Amino acid sequence: MKPENLLVRPRPTQKCTTGCPVLDRCLGGGIPCRSVTEIVAESGCGKTQLCLQLLLSAQLPPSHGGLSASSLYLHSEFPFPSRRLHQLSRARPFDPRHDHDPLEYIFVHPLHSADHLLDAMPKMESFVENFKSQFPIRLIVIDSIAALFRSEFDNNPLDLKRRSSMFFKISGKLKLLAEKFDLAVVVTNQVVDLVAPNEGINGLRIGNLGCLDSSGRRVCAALGLAWANCVNSRLFLSRDKEIVSTVNGARDECGCELMHCRTRRKLHLLFAPHIPDTSCEFVITREGISGVCI
Amino acid sequence: MEVGRLPISAALKGKLVSAGYTSLSLLSSLSPSHLARGAQTAWDMLHEEELLTRITTSSVDIDNILGGGISCRDVTEIGGVPGIGKTQLGIQLAVNVQLPIHCGGLGGKAIYIDTEGSFMVERVLQIAEACSNDMSATNTVSQDVHAGKVGMQPRDFLENILYFRVCSYTEQIALINYLDKFISEHRDVKIVIIDSITFHFRQDFDMALRTRLLGGMALKLMKLAKKFCLAVVLLNQVTTKYAEGSFQLTLALGDSWSHACTNRIILYWNGNERYAYIDKSPSLRSASAPYAVTAKGIRNSVSNCKRIKLM
Repeated sequence: MKPENLLVRPRPTQKCTTGCPVLDRCLGGGIPCRSVTEIVAESGCGKTQLCLQLLLSAQLPPSHGGLSASSLYLHSEFPFPSRRLHQLSRARPFDPRHDHDPLEYIFVHPLHSADHLLDAMPKMESFVENFKSQFPIRLIVIDSIAALFRSEFDNNPLDLKRRSSMFFKISGKLKLLAEKFDLAVVVTNQVVDLVAPNEGINGLRIGNLGCLDSSGRRVCAALGLAWANCVNSRLFLSRDKEIVSTVNGARDECGCELMHCRTRRKLHLLFAPHIPDTSCEFVITREGISGVCI
Repeated sequence: MEVGRLPISAALKGKLVSAGYTSLSLLSSLSPSHLARGAQTAWDMLHEEELLTRITTSSVDIDNILGGGISCRDVTEIGGVPGIGKTQLGIQLAVNVQLPIHCGGLGGKAIYIDTEGSFMVERVLQIAEACSNDMSATNTVSQDVHAGKVGMQPRDFLENILYFRVCSYTEQIALINYLDKFISEHRDVKIVIIDSITFHFRQDFDMALRTRLLGGMALKLMKLAKKFCLAVVLLNQVTTKYAEGSFQLTLALGDSWSHACTNRIILYWNGNERYAYIDKSPSLRSASAPYAVTAKGIRNSVSNCKRIKLM
């Protein structure tokens, strides 16, 4: 390794479309390559939906915003959502070529723990390097990173320090892969309830939103400040019930007014090196996730 | 009598002619103080020397608490939570160092060492374009056009940033060791930015080894700053430590690292505003100033209740 070889000509960053032009506009074109993008949300907000959608849109040619690429999907939640993936692949016309089966270009691998992920990295590297195809691997998704750290670590300083070290090791390797093979890396994370204050010089506010709210809870991303330092960009998906109207003054058995509610879903950009503070609304349908212009 | 035939030095002749005095008759009616109108006082000379060693951050408020800008011959550490604007400030400085001296730069090049993959060309071009537009808006353009120089375009700013991508701690150390040789061959480099100095050192490390490696790096960087009279800016992450009964934010890499830098700036959130705080400096007093990250880059905050707080 020669230090003079570390001098490189900075290249523009290729992006992978999310499959929706409204979301792409919010994200500055899509998910960037050579970068680790994190999607933070509570369960049921659409993290996995968005990931599955990316596995399919990555296969699109660059003229349609894709990477003409295969993807690697590492999942720590079981079972793998294959039925939904089938449904999404049929709903969108992903390739005009009739003999292109999108599922052939998605590689799935289960993960059981953080150590398992670390052990799998060298295998992943040689897999990506030696994968000869018209659709090289250009997208790696880890869904979710939080689940890998749930059980093994206790809440004492020593374990937390050990856990932190693992974050940096994992992130270091993911970023190396991303840089070496010009890949987009997407990692999903969960939320926990916020207890600490997040104001002032000792505050733990991270990103453009003063506070993150979802389903009426005040939350923050899991895995703490250490992991937040390991990702390049962080997106937050939120979900809230919004009252639309009353049902003609009708009441239920307890005497409470009945309401028409709808679920409002939003995507927020918490931090990214290339995009300002933005957010947009989206819906989840049979066809997938679509941004909504208000 | 022509000035050219006066028994004075060629330099003096040149100065007189360029000021418009081509013959003795034009000079005879002037007093000495009138002729010396363009001379400098010692105060002006000191101020000019200060300008030669400072790089603007593009936020007047931050420049003010820094005594004019980021200083050369010093190692400045800048730390803060993710998303507060460390990389944005790093890129702004890499662009600003290229500006001419009267615009707050040093007319030099930048070395940008990226250890995390946060450097995005599209963002650099966006910031450079804003800089280029701001320069055209001032009336200095006419002077440059006279001198045959074309205004700097965003692509030119990008060309003058020498970009290194580092993916492991061994690469980082090898590169820092190599910088002396590299900068000797690229004397127009006036700033070295490392984004971030920390990332590759937070994996599991034998602590004694890490302290030794970091100490060696710090020493080399300080020597570079002094030897080549350039600014060294190290972007750092934050971590929490338990002190005095509560959790506090502190810069990563431990207490022994805190001696490595001359100046230390902490970026933090206060309400919905971003603030920069001078945590350590041999010559500046502790103060904090608000700033904003805009599409154009780092700028002054436009909040109407902002104030610079002296500690």
